[in-house]
Amino acid sequence: MIDIVGILSANLLYVLLITIGGTLVSFSVHFVPVGGAPAAMAQAPGIGTGTVQLAAGAGLTGLITAGTVLGLTNSIAIVLASGAVGAMLMIGSTMIIGQMVYVFGVGVPPAGGKSKYDPITKDQQDIYSSQGTEGHALPTASYISGIIGGGLGGLGGSLVYYSLVNVTNNIGMTDLAGLAGIFAVGIFFINAVIPSYNIGGTTEGFHDPKFKKWYRAVISSIIATFMCAIIGVLAIGGL
Amino acid sequence: MDPLLGMGVLALMGAAATIAGATEDLESDVGSQSNPNSQVQLAPQMMHPHRIYNKAISGEPPSNALMCAIGGTIASVMMSAYGLSVVFAITFGAAIAAVIHGTYAASSFMGRVSSQKRFKQPLYLDIVRSHTPVIIGYAFLTTFFILVISYLMSSVLNHPFPLPLLAFIWGITVGAIGSSTGDVHYGAEREYQNVEFGSGINAANSGDIVRHGESGLRNGIDNAWFCSKFGGPVTGIAFGMTVFLSGWVTTVFNPGESITMGWLSVIAGLLIVAILIIGNRIIETWARSTYGPYQEEESEEVTA
Repeated sequence: MIDIVGILSANLLYVLLITIGGTLVSFSVHFVPVGGAPAAMAQAPGIGTGTVQLAAGAGLTGLITAGTVLGLTNSIAIVLASGAVGAMLMIGSTMIIGQMVYVFGVGVPPAGGKSKYDPITKDQQDIYSSQGTEGHALPTASYISGIIGGGLGGLGGSLVYYSLVNVTNNIGMTDLAGLAGIFAVGIFFINAVIPSYNIGGTTEGFHDPKFKKWYRAVISSIIATFMCAIIGVLAIGGL
Repeated sequence: MDPLLGMGVLALMGAAATIAGATEDLESDVGSQSNPNSQVQLAPQMMHPHRIYNKAISGEPPSNALMCAIGGTIASVMMSAYGLSVVFAITFGAAIAAVIHGTYAASSFMGRVSSQKRFKQPLYLDIVRSHTPVIIGYAFLTTFFILVISYLMSSVLNHPFPLPLLAFIWGITVGAIGSSTGDVHYGAEREYQNVEFGSGINAANSGDIVRHGESGLRNGIDNAWFCSKFGGPVTGIAFGMTVFLSGWVTTVFNPGESITMGWLSVIAGLLIVAILIIGNRIIETWARSTYGPYQEEESEEVTA
């Protein structure tokens, strides 16, 4: 019989850290500029894919980097920072190549649709939008927003993984790393999906009006991740 | 590990990732998966029946993750339980995964087109016969090279994650990158070559995709031919960059040596990110100055 209360009380800190990590992932997704199918046709600004797809791709790359570093050092700060950097590198590489496809392959200049001027460069946006579109590609504000989103997502995913690996248990490191990795991926996906109800397919990043709804997703994520954290800690701690 | 050996392995992983990225994008172009599929699906409803393969098994990341996880699991079992050689296990795993992907592709195509009978969209069996093997071929290459990367990471670089989990995550990543980069070349350029290059695609044109090929009627293989000139290779570069750069920072500055090296690896990563931001800005300003605005500034501001 598993000592549920004992395992949870011994690992309460990790339950809280997993909850914080999952919530960070949820918050991070709001920064990622995605335009879904309209962006794939250059009819809306942002990356031409889905919210969950890109956020998960970036965050999980960060998780791989964090996994590498956790095998080398025990410093939590370096593990988390490496996870964030890994995710930022993935999303940065993807966005710059995506930008090249828009500019050189499709022949359209970057233009946002949610504000007349780019909040960072102050460049005018509306005159660069082609007729019948909301804009296209990635203006600087969206690009930087994506980098922030990738970084926060990688940070959150790494925090979840770090916490799960450190739960008190009796299994070997090889099995533990695999199990913690699977739970971390699951918790990541749950928290990447929840904000997509706020975003509804397209967002340009932190300057998009939809960004203001972040707290709704964050509250939902705190509840969902807390439950996932209890199950994850019990599953790993009970072995 | 010897840093030079680590760099060599990383270079090999980067090369494998570049091929995996390119084949992933071309696989999605042949079958018209992911976001541009919306136009292929919409075209018959706009009275434009076509001969383009129409599969959307799921978003690209989950379908590639499934494929790579199947391949990784089979390869892992064959190596650990039966003691087979790495090359054989990875090849066999990738082959099984590709065939499973082919069954999803064929059933997805037939299901989707059958549902469009009311819009007079024919189900071309020659398209199923000619395109499905190409899809399986590209899926095999993608899975094979993802498994090569995952195997090198888990056995040579001693990554703590097991092979199938690494394959799953890299499958998600390659799908996310293919969907974000190369697919735009297919969706925004190839499907709409009937509008002037660079003129943008008016939302009112949705579903009005090009159906005539360079010779005869256009099909999915024609699309892969076009996208292999730009969309596919740049997807490969994006995935290669991701695999190489995310490994490079921890290989050159090994966090296992000291805390300082760990922070140096983080700083090196942040510097690369800063260079990418500057690069993006350079492309943005170049595009704006070269292409110019679509409309002049509003005259009210002048007269006011």
